[in-house]
Amino acid sequence: MVKFMLNGQEVVSKSQANQRLLDVLRHEFRITGVKCGCKEGECGACSVILDGKLVNSCLVALGSIEGSTVTTIEGYRETERYAALDKAYASVSAVQCGFCIPGMILASECILAKNPNPTEAEIRAGISGNLCRCTGYNAIVKAISIAAEEGKGLW
Amino acid sequence: MVNGYHPELLQEALAIRAQEAVTPYAGGTDLMIKPDEKARYLFLNKVSELKKITEDADYIRLGAACTFTDIQESELAPEILKEAVSQIAAPAIRNLGTVGGNICNGSPKADSALIFWATDSKLRLVNSRGERVIPMSEFYLGRNETSLQADELLAEILMPKTGLSHYYYKKVGVRNALAISRVSFAGILGAESGRIVNCQTAFGAVSEVVIRRPDLDAMLSGKTIEEAKASKEDYLRAYDQVILPIKGRISAEYRKAVCMNLLRDFLDSNGI
Repeated sequence: MVKFMLNGQEVVSKSQANQRLLDVLRHEFRITGVKCGCKEGECGACSVILDGKLVNSCLVALGSIEGSTVTTIEGYRETERYAALDKAYASVSAVQCGFCIPGMILASECILAKNPNPTEAEIRAGISGNLCRCTGYNAIVKAISIAAEEGKGLW
Repeated sequence: MVNGYHPELLQEALAIRAQEAVTPYAGGTDLMIKPDEKARYLFLNKVSELKKITEDADYIRLGAACTFTDIQESELAPEILKEAVSQIAAPAIRNLGTVGGNICNGSPKADSALIFWATDSKLRLVNSRGERVIPMSEFYLGRNETSLQADELLAEILMPKTGLSHYYYKKVGVRNALAISRVSFAGILGAESGRIVNCQTAFGAVSEVVIRRPDLDAMLSGKTIEEAKASKEDYLRAYDQVILPIKGRISAEYRKAVCMNLLRDFLDSNGI
């Protein structure tokens, strides 16, 4: 039994302590916005925010998060910050197939939470662990800088 | 919880370690690539004693469960270490991966471990009865093989406080992010009143363990830059004989050539 906060609610998982958080979220809690791409920390599709920091949920064992706070895209989409990112991504067509986007949005949040006025290089470094095979990244980088500009005061 | 323990105190962790066959889990980024369903993990990521960065008269003391992000954000961590960890993987991995895990995993490709080798850092290993402080060279027995005992945990890495400011670091990988080193090299050259007082080099991802040869680096110690220039070819020849890369996905010839180029560039950058 592992107790943690998931998208603002206290939950208790009955999964084994050595299960991947990714699998626990998808299979036990049916949180399917967390995507499974590679299971080795290479693609970032399973990114979640754990205690305020971006992590690959495929590389987190459930037992390591007792008492921690987890935010997935399902929780984050209720926020004003999400609305700013949503609008910015849409405005430059930064989404194509969409598989990387839950992770990409959470990476965007972590970039802006740390630095509300990031340079292009800082944005690129911030999403360097999130692979996108459709967009070529330029539109995503642009979307994050638009969100920083238009969402002033949110971060 | 049968297949995992999450102690809050180091002493509790050591008591469990003494009684049971558990797998220490710090950041999990190496372990979870191939999770062992039978493993009982001893979760160390919330043991606060293992997450501190402090200093004493001689050393910067890094808790083994400090993440790479903790190191990057620390005011105490030396620049050479910050530079190396900032090139590890990507932010989400640096938020989990730890210096202690990087060392205990036993890989010669571990980018932070290379820095601990080059800087002659020491490891403080503890068990429920006491502790021992050993150099990196005594910890590594072979590839993925260390002298960590079944009842021990790595508690701290002790980095010398002085003599590290003038350094050279290069990681050669196939891309900027998420790259595993094909060859990595760290060199430190300290000079006082025109004489070299310390020359320390280390080569990673080349052999079963990191190559660190203080006996060869001593060829340049105590010399002026002009004198070191005269010894340069002998020094390079000596390294040419001891760098024997293992063949992996990357050819041994390529690794060897890159090692020698990096060593030469390190000397060039110091006017030697």
